Amino acid sequence: MDPLVLGALVAVSTVIVLFSGVSVAVGLLIVSAGFLMIFDGMRSLELMPEILFGKLDNFALLSIPMFIIMGASIASTRAGADLYEALERWLTRVPGGLVISNLGACALFAAMSGSSPATCAAIGKMGIPEMRKRGYPDGVAAGSIAAGGTLGILIPPSVTMIVYGIATETSIGRLFLAGVIPGLMLVGLFMAWSLYSTWKTGSARLLTAGSYTWRQRLEILPRVLPFIGIIIGVLYAMYGGIATPSETAAVGALLCLIIAMLIYKLWSPKALWHVLRDSTKESVMILFIIAAAGVFSYMLSSLFITQSIAEWIGTLDVNRWVLMGTVNVFLLIAGFFLPPVAVILMAAPILLPIITTAGFDPIWFAVVLTINMEIGLISPPVGLNLYVINGIAPDISLKTILKGSLPFVACMVIAIILLCLFPGLATWLPDAVMGPSF
Amino acid sequence: TELRLSHQWSNKDVRHQVAQIIADEVAAADVDLEIKIFGSKSLFKPREQYKPLSRGQLDMTVLPLSYAGGQQPAYNLTLMPGLVKNHDHAARLSESPFMQALEAKMADDDVMVLVHGYLAGGFVGKDKCITKPEDVVGQQTRAAGKAFEQMLAGAGASIASMASSEIYNAMQTGVLTAANTSSSSFVSYRIYEQVSCYTPASDVALWFMYQPVLMNKSTFEGLNEAQQTALLEASEKAEAFYLEEAKKQDAASVKVFQDAGVEIAQMTAEDFAAWQAVAQETSFKAFVEEVPDGQKLLDMALSVD
Amino acid sequence: MAGQTPAAPDEVGNHPFLRLVAALSTVAGWCSAGMIVLAVAITCQMIFVRFVLNGSTVWQTEMVIYLVIGATLVGLPYVQRLRGHVNVDLIPLALPMAARRGLAILTLSLSIAIIGVMLWYGYEYWHFAWERGWKSDTVWGVRLWIPYLALPVGFGLLLLQLIADLVGVLTRTETPFGLGDD
Ligand code: NA
Ligand code: NA
Repeated sequence: MDPLVLGALVAVSTVIVLFSGVSVAVGLLIVSAGFLMIFDGMRSLELMPEILFGKLDNFALLSIPMFIIMGASIASTRAGADLYEALERWLTRVPGGLVISNLGACALFAAMSGSSPATCAAIGKMGIPEMRKRGYPDGVAAGSIAAGGTLGILIPPSVTMIVYGIATETSIGRLFLAGVIPGLMLVGLFMAWSLYSTWKTGSARLLTAGSYTWRQRLEILPRVLPFIGIIIGVLYAMYGGIATPSETAAVGALLCLIIAMLIYKLWSPKALWHVLRDSTKESVMILFIIAAAGVFSYMLSSLFITQSIAEWIGTLDVNRWVLMGTVNVFLLIAGFFLPPVAVILMAAPILLPIITTAGFDPIWFAVVLTINMEIGLISPPVGLNLYVINGIAPDISLKTILKGSLPFVACMVIAIILLCLFPGLATWLPDAVMGPSF
Repeated sequence: TELRLSHQWSNKDVRHQVAQIIADEVAAADVDLEIKIFGSKSLFKPREQYKPLSRGQLDMTVLPLSYAGGQQPAYNLTLMPGLVKNHDHAARLSESPFMQALEAKMADDDVMVLVHGYLAGGFVGKDKCITKPEDVVGQQTRAAGKAFEQMLAGAGASIASMASSEIYNAMQTGVLTAANTSSSSFVSYRIYEQVSCYTPASDVALWFMYQPVLMNKSTFEGLNEAQQTALLEASEKAEAFYLEEAKKQDAASVKVFQDAGVEIAQMTAEDFAAWQAVAQETSFKAFVEEVPDGQKLLDMALSVD
Repeated sequence: MAGQTPAAPDEVGNHPFLRLVAALSTVAGWCSAGMIVLAVAITCQMIFVRFVLNGSTVWQTEMVIYLVIGATLVGLPYVQRLRGHVNVDLIPLALPMAARRGLAILTLSLSIAIIGVMLWYGYEYWHFAWERGWKSDTVWGVRLWIPYLALPVGFGLLLLQLIADLVGVLTRTETPFGLGDD
């Protein structure tokens, strides 16, 4: 059978199997086994456990559980609330201080957590009730946290960037740096929208509510020092010659656990076990998807589908921006349904040769891809962050959360367009710190 | 008939070209035999090719044989410091009883050699040149191959293990201060941007790695006579090309490093002897202890002139 | 709801088989978490040895890799028990209860089949490495059957947990896909 037709068949089967409610990793294994059995013979089936083991046989994967532990241990303390409160005390005189504090806290927390739902939960637990109490519209309160949480995978460290780095063999250190400026830009866009919408709904008087004395402002400062310490420690380990990026994750995890225990008194074995349990659960879930997606990509390669698609796209004579637009639409649709890690692993081997042939920088593309995945996190039907918000504030309807998130999706689309117009937004920082890219 | 060949390199690499020559020649022979090449690790990870090859799940591969040293410890002799002096010596080694003894071990795993070939490599230093054992004392070093790690540790280096793709970054941040690998890897990972000195393979070189084209033996025997002949003839052509290109690789890497402003150091015959003395006490010794007929194999290799 | 449900263990009732499997999966979860913690500790030890003592780090990288693989595979049954393996449940949500139950039985059976295949060939691969005395090609030279053991153990326990889930749906101690009667 023609590999392209076979590819279409794989795509349709994958959609059907994954929509049936089977878990994503097991679904990928089922599709892979089916196609290998029919088109490659039983011998390929024998290889599946071996390939699955081989995909996990990679030191860089260590950083996934580590960056998840970082976020989870800090999130289990009142550190998120401290951070948010400190920002709020300092920003009250700024119009819309509260929502700005929340978004700023999300961005700062994202610099310590590799995953988005963790970021969302850590800040939202305190931020959403507070914003609603002060009369901010439910949509703005929920939407800003849902969107702010997605920064967890754009602002380094980022689990999805690690996965992308492994799948495409690009430098993880470089990828992390590439997310910084776009992350800040996105925070800016989010803040701008939040202010505008609060003002427009006639809640203008809220914008300057609340006041704190200088004493109150100063006394909270020491409580954010641990954050700054962790961020500086991790950055120093990573770019200062102490450890490789994958090893740095372990330093970060240890630092966060120690700070959570010493400063935030996270002593009880039960509390520690909760942190560990949640981290293990999320890590195993992601790592199993990585392993299963490895078997899936073996199947695609073995049946010559990957190679044929890349060749076929190469023969198409389309404008490179039309190509990029198509790729974005494809990623968006995939992101609506699948968790970011699964999309990256399934799409990267096929898309990367196409992207580089068309003259796009793989580091820049990682940022575009990540923002696409962020959109998926706050859009139905599978928007992990939406459900986190739903868990924190059960009385805000999913519809309101969704409506509140939509404008933030627009911000992300604007960010993608800006990145296309000014690729330097993503590539400048890694080039400046680490020298011109390969 | 369709055969599947897997390797880890890009389509510009000499080892891909060797595979491509075989595929092209076999196709031209018109004996109903097609070789499908899966390059750039698109099918198997580099170190995971030997197992499916020996079990007949993969037909052919271009593989550094020492990758399979965990399954056949005798293969560790194919990446042993000081065993090979230069490319012509390597070619003589491939024709020797030593190689026949290794091929007998491969036959036990249902594997056979189609094309013999060695590639050379050298050392890089971030701050200083590495030519003799004293130069590595206290350096954080990443070595390619178990025997080299043992020898370098014996010389007083600290060993850091990491994937070759991490060398660049580790050199840049200073996690590593020295490394040893193949000429082509140095170039493809752009290591010349991060080091001050390169000691390439020249008249004498320490680092030679045996990287043959292998085939599953049963699969080969299952082919008809015309197909077998075509495959063997193609392999012969590929082998001649491989040897010539292997020599050119070292010179090409020197040029790349030179153009990048990196100092080029030479290893003298005395340096080589000093390294060999260290190797004798470390990697040779460990090898003989690990492999039952190790001493015999080592003597066979050392007796090749 | 779609995606991950909160970490609430499923209903096991008084069914002895379900309780046994739940206990096994929980122990597996502890082992998995323990391996992750050990990986953190060893990585930090490695950085210390290399950066502070300027010494050799020969075995740490490999050990950490095997620990993470072990944590992943051995953790599978526990995460399955917590319903932590993310899924897309659009179709189940759209179906009436009876059809939803039917679909749950179908997807669980398919999952059991594929994990059975993984267990079978995983065991075979482990056994092969054990019989042939395969080692890793490093100075440390780990006997590979040790890390490969994670394949049969992890998939074996996951298979048990999936069978328990199927029993749960069949005996109606549990709702299909963990979705409430809405
Ligand atoms: Na982050
Ligand atoms: Na979505």
